[in-house]
Amino acid sequence: MDPQQPEPVSYLCGDCGAENTLKPGDVIQCRECGYRILYKKRTRRIVQYEAR
Amino acid sequence: MEKAKESQSPAAVKEGDYLALRELFRPHVESFDYFLDKGLNEMLESIRPMEIRDPNSNNTLKVTLEKGHVLPPMRDARSSVPLYPQECRQARITYHGEFKVDVCFEFNEQGAHVRHTFNFGHLPIMLMSKLCHLRGADPHKLVFHGEEATEMGGYFICGGMERLIRILILQKRNYPMGLVRGSFLKRGAGYTDKAVVIRCVQSDQSSVTVKLYYLQNGSARLGFWLGGREFLLPVGIVLKALIDTSDREIFTSLMCCYSDKYGRGKGVVSTQLISERAEIILDEVRNLSLLTRTQCLVHIGQYFRSVMEGFEKHDYEAVAEAVLKDYIFVHLENNHDKFNLLIFMLQKLYALVDQTASPDNADSLQYQEALLPGHLITVFLKDRLQDWLRKSKRLILEEAAKSKGFDLSNVLEVRKFLTKYTTSVGRAIESMIKVGKVNSQSGLDLPQRDGMTIHAERLNFHRYISHFRSVHRGAAFAKMRTTSVRKLLPESWGFLCPVHTPDGEPCGLLNHMASSCRISSFYNSEGALKSCEDIKKSLSAELVRVGMNPMLPKIERTGPPEVLHVHLDGCILGTIASANIEKAVNYLRRLKLAHTVPEDLEVGYVPLSLSGAYPGLYLFTNPARFVRPVRNLLTPSDGKQSIELIGPFEQAFMEIRCPDGGDGGRTKSFPATHEEIHPTAILSVVANLTPWSDHNQSPRNMYQCQMAKQTMGFCGQALKFRTDVKAFHLQTPQTPIVRTATYSKYCMDEFPSGTNAIVAVLSYTGYDMEDAMILNKSAVDRGMFRGHIYQTECIDLSTKNREKVPEIFARSALSRDTSTAIDSDGLPRLGEVVMCSMLKEVHPNEQYYSVYNSLTGAVRPVKLKGTEPAFIDYVAVNGANSKGGLQKANIRLRRVRNPIIGDKFSSRHGQKGVCSQLWPDIDMPFSANTGMRPDLIINPHAFPSRMTIAMLLESMAAKAGALHGKFINATPFANSMSIKEEDKDPCEPKSIVEEMGSMLASYGFNYHGTEFLYSGVFGNEMEYAIFIGPVYYQRLRHMVSDKFQVRTTGRIDQITRQPIGGRKHGGGIRFGEMERDALLAHGSSYLLHDRLHSCSDYHIADVCSFCGSLLTATVIKSDAQKKAKHEMLGLPTVRPPKNFVCQACKTSKGMETVAMPYVFRYLAAELAAMNIKLELRLSNKSEWPASQES
Repeated sequence: MDPQQPEPVSYLCGDCGAENTLKPGDVIQCRECGYRILYKKRTRRIVQYEAR
Repeated sequence: MEKAKESQSPAAVKEGDYLALRELFRPHVESFDYFLDKGLNEMLESIRPMEIRDPNSNNTLKVTLEKGHVLPPMRDARSSVPLYPQECRQARITYHGEFKVDVCFEFNEQGAHVRHTFNFGHLPIMLMSKLCHLRGADPHKLVFHGEEATEMGGYFICGGMERLIRILILQKRNYPMGLVRGSFLKRGAGYTDKAVVIRCVQSDQSSVTVKLYYLQNGSARLGFWLGGREFLLPVGIVLKALIDTSDREIFTSLMCCYSDKYGRGKGVVSTQLISERAEIILDEVRNLSLLTRTQCLVHIGQYFRSVMEGFEKHDYEAVAEAVLKDYIFVHLENNHDKFNLLIFMLQKLYALVDQTASPDNADSLQYQEALLPGHLITVFLKDRLQDWLRKSKRLILEEAAKSKGFDLSNVLEVRKFLTKYTTSVGRAIESMIKVGKVNSQSGLDLPQRDGMTIHAERLNFHRYISHFRSVHRGAAFAKMRTTSVRKLLPESWGFLCPVHTPDGEPCGLLNHMASSCRISSFYNSEGALKSCEDIKKSLSAELVRVGMNPMLPKIERTGPPEVLHVHLDGCILGTIASANIEKAVNYLRRLKLAHTVPEDLEVGYVPLSLSGAYPGLYLFTNPARFVRPVRNLLTPSDGKQSIELIGPFEQAFMEIRCPDGGDGGRTKSFPATHEEIHPTAILSVVANLTPWSDHNQSPRNMYQCQMAKQTMGFCGQALKFRTDVKAFHLQTPQTPIVRTATYSKYCMDEFPSGTNAIVAVLSYTGYDMEDAMILNKSAVDRGMFRGHIYQTECIDLSTKNREKVPEIFARSALSRDTSTAIDSDGLPRLGEVVMCSMLKEVHPNEQYYSVYNSLTGAVRPVKLKGTEPAFIDYVAVNGANSKGGLQKANIRLRRVRNPIIGDKFSSRHGQKGVCSQLWPDIDMPFSANTGMRPDLIINPHAFPSRMTIAMLLESMAAKAGALHGKFINATPFANSMSIKEEDKDPCEPKSIVEEMGSMLASYGFNYHGTEFLYSGVFGNEMEYAIFIGPVYYQRLRHMVSDKFQVRTTGRIDQITRQPIGGRKHGGGIRFGEMERDALLAHGSSYLLHDRLHSCSDYHIADVCSFCGSLLTATVIKSDAQKKAKHEMLGLPTVRPPKNFVCQACKTSKGMETVAMPYVFRYLAAELAAMNIKLELRLSNKSEWPASQES
């Protein structure tokens, strides 16, 4: 798809809770249990909120 | 799963804690359980086997549906991994189990039975029903599976949506009702407006309504619907066709209720006219020269053979038997019973005509029952299966006609045709639940075809419960102009809540069941299935013991007032002498308490009266009746034993007193036999939550019921797992200090919905006028009424794509832009803020996901809709049923909704108001003795006209409770319960004010709850004491942030060039005719011109003054750039006219520019299209120019 591979994104399995790291084009499925709903993990970036 | 089990806290809740809550949902769950346990197989049995006759070989094949199997929901068809509801919500799929039916094939009558199992697709499974994986799960298991700890079930998940089947009102089954309706006159010449109508229900819950019309000549016609039209049969033919009988028998049966010795005394239902009418009925049959039963059957058979499906080859008698079995009194199997019932109905009809019996009111709950989810599914599934059989038969016959080699005995060959439509059965049920439409040819004797299901909104817990407790009268009544159906009738006392009905359009049609009201089911209190046969046997044995004469040995009978007929579920069992009837009724009630007969047996004893309801003893054991518990006073009370379940039919003739110790004005001759358990039993759950609602004006309680359902509160503790399209969440809810007994009974603390705000009733600053209220800014800053809106978007690229180009989520590989919220997978980063497109200059990251088109390679970022920033709350990707690649995702956005000016709040007493100011804490008034500042200030004018005394009481009580450190019980009608104890204790019953006042005084506060306040601005003491105290306030979901609409310029309509409407598109608010009239009346024409012209579709048109046309102008020299520039500069008035030429006059001399609304020009164009010329006559003078035309 593109020359530079984008960084992989990690997800948590909705069933067993295992962490899965997926690259674009990967099948959306937990590697441990085969569950097909994965939740994204919270970003590691610094986020700035307004406390008002 | 192991981990979850271990981490059980010691303060674990017992499952029994939520039993009261589950009880509210039982009608839904139990009816579906019945469908799984018994209804399915009973329904399959009742489907008539399909017979196919091969036209070539005359071989026959009989296809019988035998046994149905519904399997629990599984993740995949093959695997044994259970599918849990949570997964269905996440993945937007249906919580369904496989549905299979054993089909038996029999070739040529004597051939061997070959059995095959057919797969009919999937049936949606109701949550918490017997096939649900969560049935019987304890709160820990429920929480582990992502449900509420209190999860009550009762709904279906279809495509991720939670939908429930609405409980509808139906006519009471198996009870002949005397009706007077104008529409009966339309049946034909000679018909009157009187009829006896009975809705007969078979054991598989399908029903056929039979009407017995009275004709002007004294005869009667029996009418029923078949294949979309009503068939009317002379009643004599039906009587003769049912059993082998003689004219004499019919005559004496009809005549038996008349005796000339009584005259027109009490309980006499018949007049001497009956003998003439009986003769007319018999003459009618004789005139058709039908003398024997066989002749009658042949007559009916000839008439019906063409419409009865599957009987084309049968002889007339068989057809007639089938008609009698399938359409006339389907609840009875025995023809003798049918005959007796028909005779009874005739007698009732004649009593109705002679006005010796009053007509029954179809709008009263006495003659109504409920349509339950399980029953609807049973009926609809039967219809679909029959439809499948019909379609398959047609297919097979077509195939047999086409190919000579087709062999009917080859089951595998036949099977191929049968399996063609099988999955449509499961799909039909699913779409019925999804859409709420019942698609069937016959109408299934249901009151309406759509709107059968509703979405179970979880806006808050009150609303959620109310969905399951609501009872709708039927969509047909909503359009009716008369208000009689909406009336609150005394018959619904204790069953339907008088307070909890919406005001406005559905008022009185959408009712809610009272909190203690249940619906009878097929299950007894132990949860075992009831057997109709056993009940009937034991009941008739008991009845004979108390003096009933059975119907069977044909002896000379009499009728009321001498004896009364005993009906059991529409079957006449026998007669009881009216002298013995009271004894028999009491005996039956005692048996009910001893559980030897079903505890929900309805003993409908209609006593003899002077032209009142038709007397008799009507016993009902059927499901779907409303029942409620009352205390029986007849039996020596030993606590629990004396609780009896009564229905609305019997209630009308019972003496039930209020437990306040009084007798309700009864005389000694009619003592009360029953007693209410608690007066609040007449109120629904939501109405019961209003504290001291007996001190409020009644419409205020109705408003509170409405507002409680719009409150922002805890919609659920499993919010984390929820995927509702829109969910409201209050950040800091509190439990009310003043609460009713219902509050704790139904565990409302699990879903709190408000805050105990310190309310001062005071006119301060003037910002609390007209139901506005002042909020303390610091209280809001500390978290009062803070809330969030959670919005879940389900984006499925596999269904969205056009032209079959697969799209996936991905970010553009070229962009190294890290400022956007989009992660490298094309979905937003969790926790990131996404700003709206309007604040673009400040925050550039308004895009929140991007889509990659795999064909063109283009990346399309998607922008957030709306005008306010949102937080990315969670992102779930779903790989189910997609061919690799990220195509399906749920994105939940969180929007902050802190209280701002314009938000709506209300107390629990129908006192709603809008926040008008967030007043600084330092400027709020403060108390002289405690220094406390109120959280909220409301105007004293809110009270005098509305008379919500309970709100004042609540303020006092909550203050006392807060000081004392305990909750105050505010159950309404408490004084009508306690008087009994008071009798022993001679001291005066204390009023609430006295009780609370002395409590306040003991803590050094003013007895009446008032306090002296100091002005926050001036610091001086206010002249009068101010009523101040905590009141439980709710924040309503109507918030300005969702409602405000502002526009200066923006999008315009393409055709008219006028501003568009609608908040979503940034449109304006219509300045309509009435607004125009107002400005006209004020004479403010400049403003009017500005609103309707300059700010709308201002346009300069070029008009030819010679021909008067505004359509013929054409540009000679294109001067596009200049023109564009002109329009940018605002509203040009002059333009060089030389550029235009009239196409008709071929000259530019007459061209003038005229300012006009653009729609006018559009109108001219439209008219031109219709060959109508619109002509303008231009002049600079105020009057019309003289006509220059010839």
